[in-house]
Amino acid sequence: MSEAILRVEHLSKSFGKREILRDIDFSVHPGDVTSIIGASGSGKSTLLRCINLLELPTSGRILYHNEDMTSGRGNVAAYRAKVGMVFQSFNLFNNMTVLENCTVGQIHVLKKKKEAARETAMRYLDRVGMAPYANARPQQISGGQKQRVAIARALAMQPEILLFDEPTSALDPEMVGEVLNAMRLLAQDGMTMLVVTHEMAFARDVSNRVVYMNRGVICEDGTPEQIFGNPQKPETREFLARFIKG
Amino acid sequence: MYAMDRLSQLFGDIASLWSKSASTYFAGMGNTLLLAVIGTLLGCVIGFVCGILQTIPVAKNDRAVKKGLLGILRAIIRVYIEVFRGTPMMLQAVFIYFGLPYFTNNAMRFRNLWVVSILVVSINTGAYMAESVRGGILSVDRGQAEGAKAIGMNHFQTMTSVILPQALRNIMPQIGNNFIINVKDTSVMFIIGFTEFFSVHKAITGATYKYFPSAAIEMLGYLTVTLTASLLLRAMEKRMDGKGSYELVKGDPLISTAGTYNYPDKGSPYDEQNREHACETEEERR
Repeated sequence: MSEAILRVEHLSKSFGKREILRDIDFSVHPGDVTSIIGASGSGKSTLLRCINLLELPTSGRILYHNEDMTSGRGNVAAYRAKVGMVFQSFNLFNNMTVLENCTVGQIHVLKKKKEAARETAMRYLDRVGMAPYANARPQQISGGQKQRVAIARALAMQPEILLFDEPTSALDPEMVGEVLNAMRLLAQDGMTMLVVTHEMAFARDVSNRVVYMNRGVICEDGTPEQIFGNPQKPETREFLARFIKG
Repeated sequence: MYAMDRLSQLFGDIASLWSKSASTYFAGMGNTLLLAVIGTLLGCVIGFVCGILQTIPVAKNDRAVKKGLLGILRAIIRVYIEVFRGTPMMLQAVFIYFGLPYFTNNAMRFRNLWVVSILVVSINTGAYMAESVRGGILSVDRGQAEGAKAIGMNHFQTMTSVILPQALRNIMPQIGNNFIINVKDTSVMFIIGFTEFFSVHKAITGATYKYFPSAAIEMLGYLTVTLTASLLLRAMEKRMDGKGSYELVKGDPLISTAGTYNYPDKGSPYDEQNREHACETEEERR
């Protein structure tokens, strides 16, 4: 097995007295498409936010190529540039056009020339089908389009791994498909992805690993066939049964 | 027709005042405008610096030196804001103008009234703007900063590229407010002898005794300027909002992927579309 890009060791996170994550151990290898599933409030999003240090873990370590990013000595900004994130609420910069959204990070963080940044941005916008909208402002496009731009913005930084925090949960149903489709294409291209999702079909068909979280711990971890076909833990069975029964 | 009489008398008086002293009025208004513009601009600079310093986030694992320094800076800014927001500008002008020679035993004094006036108006505006800027920064959705951080931007880059442009747009109405207030309130600078629009009125009426006609001219003068300023500010806000429409970039072979996705699980138990949006609602309807 190739060396892990990211290793999470004994990660815990509490907000005040409330413990959200407890002793999470977990690693991501190149090319992995991992879906994290679980009920609302099980700590999925918090785990993702801890991984790119939007939340500081209460204890435990996050190792990026064996470098401890939680020690306070690592270069957090450079790390975040390598670990892209797509948010549930898009978080596109409202004061910029679609194109500027995709170039601002390249120019300021990667110190690229404007022209080169533009070219890269257009390439990735094209990949998610948003190139025609390069001059639009975030307020002028639909939710699904916004999320595709957010994916292009993350890709334009040429990250090693991409985190998705419920990327389709804030979308109208008819727009879910276009975003999942873009993610599907990314997975096919070999992008390493960590996806928090409620889209069970996506988790089952696209990912090669599924993590089921329950009450702040990883309850079950395996291939989609194992988790969906033959779940071992009663909690997992119960969760999936609820989803399937509707 | 007493009223008509008075009106024609008033127009006559205004005309005679205007023909004699128009250039004096204009000069006064020029000074007022210049002082208000410079004071508001410098006040904005002070406000932005204070507002930014006040909103620097402190994390638990930051070094003690950084925490201490920020704490002291914030305390100083708080005191500054409270003092200059809580006292009349007229008094501030007197306080500073006479304070300097008093404390330096007449070794130092303000030789140029412009310097004191600009100083007082800027500091006063800055105290108000600091709070406006703080509000403006807080009004920008937290997701914007998170989006910037997630692509590796540091605090400074996040502020200058993402947060401040949006905060500036959000507080444009308040900047306009402050400018209009400054146009009017610079009139208190007559107390230290600064020649502005209102002091012109005092000078002219001192010689002509035409108090009301001159006051009418002053009213119209201030109104003309503030109304023009309102219109200009609105236009500026509109420009900041950008164009209402956008042009599609043509010549791209890749067409939007919207609507091309097929649900592979249509009708199966894994079809979340079905579960969420068909079954449940239908069941509810029954």
